[in-house]
Amino acid sequence: MHQRVSTAVCAALAAVLALIAVGGCERRPSCTGDYCGTLVFITGNNPDILNPAVSDNTGASDVEQQLFLKLADVGLSGNTIGDQDFVPELAQRWEWEGPRSIIFHLDPRAHWHDGRAVTAGDVEFSFDAYADTVVNSPARESLRRIASVRSRDSLTVVFTFSEHYPEMFYDAVYHMQILPRHLLAEVPRTEWRSSAFGRNPVGDGPYRFVSWTPNQSVELAADSTFFLGRPHIRRLIWHFAANLQVAVTQLVADQADALEYLGPPQFIQQAQKAPQLTLYPYKGSNYGYLGFNLRANGDTTRPHPIFGDRSVRRAITMGVDRAKLLLSVFGTHAKVPPGPMPQFWSIWDSTIRTLPYDPAAAAGLLAAHGWRMGPDSIRVKDGQKLSFHILAVTTSNVRQQYARLLQESLRPLGVDVQIDALEQNALQQRLAAGKYDAVLEAWQASPTPSSGITQLWTSHGATNYSRYANPEFENLVTRATSGTTTRDAASRLWRGAMDLLNADAPGIWLFAPDNVAAIHKRVADVQIRPDSWWALVRHWRIPADRLIDRDRAGR
Amino acid sequence: MTAWLLRRCAAAVAIVFAVVTLTFILIHLAPGTPFLPGPERAFDPAASARLERQLGLDRPLPVQFALYLGQLVRGNLGDSFSQHRPVSEALAEAVPNTLVLTGSALVLDFVVGIALGIFLAARARRASAALVDQVTLFFYSLPTFWLGMVLLLVFSVWLRWLPAGGITDSVVYPSLGAWGRIGDRLWHLILPAATLGLVGAAGTARFQRAALLEVLHGDFIRTARAKGLRERRVLLVHALRNALLPVITLFGLALPFLLTGAVLIETVFSWPGLGKLAVDAIFARDYPLVVAAAILASATVAGGSLVADLLYAAADPRIRVSGT
Repeated sequence: MHQRVSTAVCAALAAVLALIAVGGCERRPSCTGDYCGTLVFITGNNPDILNPAVSDNTGASDVEQQLFLKLADVGLSGNTIGDQDFVPELAQRWEWEGPRSIIFHLDPRAHWHDGRAVTAGDVEFSFDAYADTVVNSPARESLRRIASVRSRDSLTVVFTFSEHYPEMFYDAVYHMQILPRHLLAEVPRTEWRSSAFGRNPVGDGPYRFVSWTPNQSVELAADSTFFLGRPHIRRLIWHFAANLQVAVTQLVADQADALEYLGPPQFIQQAQKAPQLTLYPYKGSNYGYLGFNLRANGDTTRPHPIFGDRSVRRAITMGVDRAKLLLSVFGTHAKVPPGPMPQFWSIWDSTIRTLPYDPAAAAGLLAAHGWRMGPDSIRVKDGQKLSFHILAVTTSNVRQQYARLLQESLRPLGVDVQIDALEQNALQQRLAAGKYDAVLEAWQASPTPSSGITQLWTSHGATNYSRYANPEFENLVTRATSGTTTRDAASRLWRGAMDLLNADAPGIWLFAPDNVAAIHKRVADVQIRPDSWWALVRHWRIPADRLIDRDRAGR
Repeated sequence: MTAWLLRRCAAAVAIVFAVVTLTFILIHLAPGTPFLPGPERAFDPAASARLERQLGLDRPLPVQFALYLGQLVRGNLGDSFSQHRPVSEALAEAVPNTLVLTGSALVLDFVVGIALGIFLAARARRASAALVDQVTLFFYSLPTFWLGMVLLLVFSVWLRWLPAGGITDSVVYPSLGAWGRIGDRLWHLILPAATLGLVGAAGTARFQRAALLEVLHGDFIRTARAKGLRERRVLLVHALRNALLPVITLFGLALPFLLTGAVLIETVFSWPGLGKLAVDAIFARDYPLVVAAAILASATVAGGSLVADLLYAAADPRIRVSGT
């Protein structure tokens, strides 16, 4: 009896091992030559839906970038003013018709992956959808100054703006990926977020959709008839990891080829040790800061008892050695920003005036404004202790680290800091309601300061949670983002605005990371655009003599 | 028996309803919105308010709850806010993945655990048993996610013998035949199932050993030995059946783990299962998905408890389920 059981167990084990061996060994090499290659991206960002009008996460936009084209795209210079640095995509060429209209001429070779031609009607339809409150596109706000989009013939479309401003062209082309009218016009717009199109999209880009297994992977295949040139890499696969740490582990274990952002130094070191990877540093698109609430915690009608005073904000800013903190958290992989800006913005200028680290001057300033050291080494003024809470999101190790470092940095100055760790959703609600003292924030920025700075630091900005308001600053921002301002003039205006903002110190600008991507060394011609990591993948290639099993396998 | 079963089922339904109600209220009262954009992206309160209106989230909570119960009765779990698809579809993908992982881990847990427990009891007070005892204690005290990370580092990153995550190799899987696909899935299952199973087995072994040692001192065992039965038969037939009762209880308690117990391992190994789905849904304030996951979890707990009682009765003739 026992022998029979043992035999059965052994047989079952042998069968399982045989199956595993089959799974491990069954490979069907099928592709050789210059247009082979499979690139596996690993990412912690799972797409929500593959319809660029409604999707709102980086996982989705990375994939959509390969599926859907814009009329034109930002060039490698990153310049968003005027039109001279933009690269044509669907639009073969364009011309200005007066100060407020742009005429785009579509490339007649452009086609959807189902074979239909891309027409001016698709562009007109796309604008209508992106601007529709029912669709509720995240890009809607960015298109508010476009008054109309009208097709003149099947290949000509005219954009008319409500006003003239330096980034008209950028607004016309950057926020909208054109959608196929023939597939979406009949879908009720209330149902776009759950429509079948978003699960099985038909695009016009260099890659066509193959499959999507939610929470696991997305696969695209090169469109060999792509009108701007056949992509060299045959298959793109996005593999979704639970978080960045898991993603780095899989990359280092050679289960993936590319990760756009390695994050903190320990992950960069891990990737450096993997012999199959090459690291590509590029300018970062995010930045972080400690934002002060200038209005009372929970009562936006009164000034904050501490941060309502400009001198106290300045003193606290001068009491923080930002360079030292940066070194502790990022090593040499980030810079202290000269304002609320990522490294890739054209207005980044290390000569912008910032408040220096000067603890003696900070202590003097506090004392001069009545904040005297109390018996418990915490400053006091009129019975009010110089004590505040910092909100920091639980999911960001960087911000948690910064919170603790700030707590320690400010203690010698007589400032008591308490840390409130909250998950993102709860934190967001506290910010919107103004129920906080200070918050550690980080932002992923678009290529231009126009929208980000306006939203965060002007009185009509939807996310100006600091409730900062300075008419002089706002005047400079308005002038930099409107009228016939040239790039140089805009830069001067932005610089002036940043000088003012830094002097008012509504926040302490803490970090602007250098992004580092890791890509398998067999991939050649790698170029990375800071605002859109994989935008140029169609130009990458894997030379025939560097192909590995992964490249040859597959459909 | 039937009356007892009916009463237990009615109690289970009541438990599930209570969990649904509580979860619905708590998740709706939690601060935040389901329409928060991705990390570090600007939040537009007006856009969020528009979406809340579209989905009826601006209505009073009792109205929302009544509407939800209405659709639940019709078998409709609603649409996921974060995944933009029916909740049933998301669950139908995640539940089998979790069942495969936790089911394999449970089999490993109880097969290895019981075998080790028998070994430890049979060789009590010998050096080999002491060594195995220390090893089981070591594994029992390990946090599963830590063991997972270590196994991942050794077998995937250093040795590169086993995959580092996912349930299939997305590069080759589409081109594999049916057997190849099964093999590929098993290949990806080894590390996560071993991680969960080994830690569980260490605990089960210690329970089993303790139970067997207690039974081995019984009169009926002495009688069996006096009758001249071989020691293996005494141990595996007479002692083991009587020593299985605590392990069966353990098994019943472990059943809910089939759906809920693998959150950390699903994260470490990028295993797209129910635990990870539920946790993501909570952070995303995906109300319909959170409540549906709670329904599944509570139903499994209630069902597991029922199954444990039935198994207990089957294993011990002295115990009878009763209608009184």
